[in-house]
Amino acid sequence: MTRTRTPGISRRSTLALMGAGAMTFAAPWVARAQAKTIKIGMPTILSGRVAQLGTSSRNAVMLEVEKVNAAGGLAGRQIEMVIRDSKGQPQEAARVARELVNTDGCELMIDAEASSGAFAVHEVARDLGVFCIHTNSETSALTADPKQHIPNAFRTARQGVHDSIVGGSYAAAIAKAKGLKKWATCSPDYAYGRDTTAEFTLYLKRFAPEVEIISESWPKLFQPDYTEVVTKILQAKPQALYSCLWGGDLTSYIDQANIYAMFGQMEVFAVNMADYTALTVVKNLPKGIHSGNRYIKTFPTTPENAAWGDAYKAKYNEYPTNWSWENATAIMLMAEASKKANSADGKKIAEALKGLTIKCPFGADGTVTMRGDDHTLVGYAIGWGTTIPQEPYVPEVKAGDWKTIFELEAEWKKSKGYT
Amino acid sequence: MTELEAGRAQTLVPQRGGAALQRYRDVLIALIAFAVLASLPLFTGSKALLDFVIRCSAYGLFATSLNLLVGYTGLTSFGHGMFFGLGAYSFGLIMQKLGVPIPIAFVATLAITAIVAAIIGAICVRLKEIYFAFVTLAFQMLIHSTILSWASFTGGDQGLRGGIPRPAFLGINLANHVHLYIASCALLILGLLAMRQIAQSPFGYTLRMIRDNAARASFLGIDVWRAKLTVFVLAALFAAMGGMVMALFVSGAYPEFAYWTISGEAIFINMLGGVSTFLGPMVGTVLLLLLNDTVTRFTEYHGIVLGVVILFFALGLRKGLLDFVAEWYAHRRETGEGR
Repeated sequence: MTRTRTPGISRRSTLALMGAGAMTFAAPWVARAQAKTIKIGMPTILSGRVAQLGTSSRNAVMLEVEKVNAAGGLAGRQIEMVIRDSKGQPQEAARVARELVNTDGCELMIDAEASSGAFAVHEVARDLGVFCIHTNSETSALTADPKQHIPNAFRTARQGVHDSIVGGSYAAAIAKAKGLKKWATCSPDYAYGRDTTAEFTLYLKRFAPEVEIISESWPKLFQPDYTEVVTKILQAKPQALYSCLWGGDLTSYIDQANIYAMFGQMEVFAVNMADYTALTVVKNLPKGIHSGNRYIKTFPTTPENAAWGDAYKAKYNEYPTNWSWENATAIMLMAEASKKANSADGKKIAEALKGLTIKCPFGADGTVTMRGDDHTLVGYAIGWGTTIPQEPYVPEVKAGDWKTIFELEAEWKKSKGYT
Repeated sequence: MTELEAGRAQTLVPQRGGAALQRYRDVLIALIAFAVLASLPLFTGSKALLDFVIRCSAYGLFATSLNLLVGYTGLTSFGHGMFFGLGAYSFGLIMQKLGVPIPIAFVATLAITAIVAAIIGAICVRLKEIYFAFVTLAFQMLIHSTILSWASFTGGDQGLRGGIPRPAFLGINLANHVHLYIASCALLILGLLAMRQIAQSPFGYTLRMIRDNAARASFLGIDVWRAKLTVFVLAALFAAMGGMVMALFVSGAYPEFAYWTISGEAIFINMLGGVSTFLGPMVGTVLLLLLNDTVTRFTEYHGIVLGVVILFFALGLRKGLLDFVAEWYAHRRETGEGR
């Protein structure tokens, strides 16, 4: 008899192996097809002047969604993000938000709009009842004003009034130590600039009553030339300057003020300086500018935060922005709330999210909390420090005290007639 | 420009005998169009389609009213968007602060718009061409700046917050999506019909004469300034109607509604659809919104796509779509008759 069977692996066992292999690889796909994916809609600004911030929001969301999906998704359902450009126009934001829910079948919403766009999407959320997290609007009224309150909307962005309280107390301490009495302000001429500056000076004077504002400048938003503003401030000869210019406006302001050697003549407090989009763009970053933290991987000084910043940099080849951490936090909270509710249903997630505290790299003490009574994020890392011209840009950040923030915020709410 | 003018000159023949007949025909078409639009929710449950028609109503009223100025009177206004914004803000503020029934707010908004338009118009319509365009633009920026800086009243750059209350009246509840849809369609059809009547009336032909030769119209005893002012105010009223539909749709009003880009969009719509036919701007509206909605679904580089489209219309067709179709049709008929 001749042996027909060649030594080694038989055809039959090869087939069996292939079959088993196919099953192993197909299993997750089959499972995925069985558990329907959940769509999350996200209108944001992907074109125009602030497109960089919108893109960084999308990047951060995708980074976190990948993690959630790898861990099984929202209550077993894989997340599919549907992200669309609103061009920064509120009527487009409203249209896109409605389209995402009505046509694309999105069951949850991340509203990564700024300013008026966020209020437009808020009305859509009110109208359609869809679960919605506002991630970028820092306007305090969005959650502080009880008229705005709806059970299905939350906010994971920092808040103007929190920034002002921390900034005011930090600046007052320095004003007292260095005897800075004469102050000037220079902020963009629109609601954010006016409100933030007014709140900052309110708290600065509260902690250091001897401070006097001797000059105010209100350059237009996206103004290209700041010469007249710079010379006006220099002529007033203040000892300190406050500014809430941001992004490209802040960097061109600094570049132009550098020509006049402004930063050697006064202490400068620029709340929006410590953001990589500004820090890395300024040609000669002056040493010693005081700034609030926006996103910086060295504050909070935890390995989790540094790792998150590095992971983002590794994936997108640029550093995260202020909007990045705010959007990432939204996904983290959503995933945790869905786990707690054991459901991907918007109503149940909203219920579980109220008062929820989660571990988070951006928390002041390693955790952040979604406050139950006004649906806004608290306990995030907030502080001020001074710049140096190279990495890590802001080596030491002095953390703000959340106990003081809560006290003064409650007082502020009362003064506004919100409580 | 000269080609268009030549085209217009041919159509400048009022059909006197058939005027009443044509009016009945227009009303009939309007009724049929309304019946078709209003029955749409019976056949489809698509909320997106209804949203689309609501937005078409807002932009359609706005763009057609601009055509009363640009196409019929030859007044190229760069600031027409101010009345769109004014309508949205007046209506929203009246509803938020006074809480009156919607029809009263509607009429009050039109009254406010008429007053503002009469004042602005009285200054602007004395000017010609580029000067008129720039002064209207200046007034628009004035209104836009006022909205931004009067933050305690208008909400500044955050817009009117907290939603516009929509109490039910006469059994109509505009908080209901279908009711809002039908009301928008009704406003669109009524607005278009009214504008059509204006365009086809003797006054409408006076406007065409002013457009083609203002000096001659003046010599014939027409008070050119008054005619221009009248159409400026009328156009503002329809633009404000569009603004109100938009305010109801987004349940708010935002400074972007009064920004020059809104005026630019209306001019763009008129270029797309054509200015020498009455329904040109309506066709342009549908085209632009359709383009916008589909293109933004697929790419964030929608600016490039829209730019290419406008280049195609400006350099390729050298006129709006409906102008092109109308001319092609007329040409075909002429050659057909010649055979």
